[in-house]
Amino acid sequence: MAVAPTTTPLVADPAAAPRQAPAAGSGATWRGHLLRLPFYLLSLTMIAPFYWMLITVFKPVTELNRQPPSFVPEHPTLSNFYDPGYSPTQVNPGHLQGIFQRFQVDFGFGRFMFNSLVITVAITVGSLLIASLAAYVITKHRVPGRRLIFLLIVASMMVPWQTTLVPNYVIMRNLGWLDTYQGYIVPALAKAFVLFFLVQFLHSVPDELIQAARVDGAGEWRIWWQIVLPLLRPALAAMSIFIVLAEWNNFLWPLIIVQSDEMANIPVALARLNTYFGGAQHQGAIMAGGLLASLPSIAFFLAFQRYFTRGIVLSGLKG
Amino acid sequence: MATHAAAPRQRWRRYGTSYLMLLPFLGLFAGFLVWPLANSLYLSFTKFDGVNAPEFEGLENFRRLLFDDDRFRHALGNTFLYVVASVGIGTLLSLGLALAFSGSSWPHRIMRTIFFLPSVTSSIALMLLWKWIFNPGDFGLANTVMTWFGGRAVEWLATPGLTIPILVLMSVWGGMGYGMVLYVAGLNTIPQEYYEAARIDGATSWQQFRRVTLPLLRPVTTYVVVTGLIGAFQVFEAVYIVFRGTNNIGGVLDSGLMIVPYLYDQGFTHFKLGYASAIAWVLFLIIFALSMVNLRIGRALKEL
Repeated sequence: MAVAPTTTPLVADPAAAPRQAPAAGSGATWRGHLLRLPFYLLSLTMIAPFYWMLITVFKPVTELNRQPPSFVPEHPTLSNFYDPGYSPTQVNPGHLQGIFQRFQVDFGFGRFMFNSLVITVAITVGSLLIASLAAYVITKHRVPGRRLIFLLIVASMMVPWQTTLVPNYVIMRNLGWLDTYQGYIVPALAKAFVLFFLVQFLHSVPDELIQAARVDGAGEWRIWWQIVLPLLRPALAAMSIFIVLAEWNNFLWPLIIVQSDEMANIPVALARLNTYFGGAQHQGAIMAGGLLASLPSIAFFLAFQRYFTRGIVLSGLKG
Repeated sequence: MATHAAAPRQRWRRYGTSYLMLLPFLGLFAGFLVWPLANSLYLSFTKFDGVNAPEFEGLENFRRLLFDDDRFRHALGNTFLYVVASVGIGTLLSLGLALAFSGSSWPHRIMRTIFFLPSVTSSIALMLLWKWIFNPGDFGLANTVMTWFGGRAVEWLATPGLTIPILVLMSVWGGMGYGMVLYVAGLNTIPQEYYEAARIDGATSWQQFRRVTLPLLRPVTTYVVVTGLIGAFQVFEAVYIVFRGTNNIGGVLDSGLMIVPYLYDQGFTHFKLGYASAIAWVLFLIIFALSMVNLRIGRALKEL
């Protein structure tokens, strides 16, 4: 496969050390730096929005719509997370609800973080388990029809998932799964790109290992659990990073199936805040929510960065 | 042929476990992808409000979409403009960044991480951030920068002419690091000997880029462009979070109306589920065509 099908995720580690640096004003010469100057300037425009978000989070309500704005919070505060000075009965323009006080659900914003965590973990583990089972059969069992099945699954990667939005909504409604965890999780488990990726990886694993286990009398389920899964570890790690980031940030499907506040994930909760509170004085709390949404995924990425490299090496791009 | 009658049972004994292991994936795949896909094709030929049974009306939805619906035509036009601009600019910048920061020294790695950061940040958080940056008040970041350069405060999100440029800006800002990482991986597959040979032949660095780097990066470029196009056609969150008004999803004068937001609007705000399915199939056809182009280019490159 010269070019990977279009929806194969290509995850890569931006900080990984490449084998060599190609030409084009290479090196740390003055000419090299001069050529790179526009990109150094561009990197400032990358950092500026993040910096703006960060300082907004720590500004008190009264500092948010000051003109000109402060670029270092003059009275840094955590009140955008939780403001002990806020009282629902006494109106005080200097004290608004922090992000954890904005929703009338148990544990406030923590509830949405919990929901996002449960959904992300369940989909990641579940989709990797069922895809690894199917990939094992497709690559190592000579079952009739396996080529056809694989072809069908690969072809499905060309389908934009939004095409199934309406029927899947109707299915969820008929099953009574709107506003439930299973409504988030079950339709998201069969991921074609994960299967495709694992099949490619398993093709490179020699059959002898599995044959040997069979000769020793191991059953198919045990071979899958004790031999195939450990062999797949690097591929599973690369895929799990991709799935975790996608599910943690998933928005359109949750927007459609979630009705109550209790069942919202973080993105849906943030979108609701955006609908209810437009004014500048609310942006501190909203940005605090954005920070709570972003920090786990950024930390997750930084912690497992090295696995990202494999994603790009293993996928079709190279061949 | 004598074994034929016994085949099914034998086959089951031999492959029973295999089929059982395939079942979870295939069952879910059939239930939540294959069946819904067929169902959405059927629904696209019907009038369906989600409550009463779907009413078959043939090609009526598609006729209306293509010939009667000004909003849809507007959404298509907006989407095409946005897709071409964001993918064009984004790809060029990705390539430039990859050429500039493909090394293994720490400054290069830090630069790459900075440009990649938006790809791992919550996209809803980023959209809320942009909305806050483009706040119409003179305390918004964008307007503050305007005043530094002697400009006046601008109603960024309420000026129809600025909607597509802002959407393109947000898309390029958020996506160029991803393209950069793909290009860096592509650059590292080019053998250093090619450059040495070119230098011996007296090639300037521009000629090396033009004759060695660019041709060898062609598969990567195809991949970056096509996946970029496909992703851009599906844009939703930027419109929904940043531009949606109280009763209009597309922003002021529908200036930010795109295919998927319109699908959402028709299907899940107005509950015209048949009509929304027809929109979904138009999207399907566009993306399917792009994927076929991708495969064909891939095959052609392999034969070269």
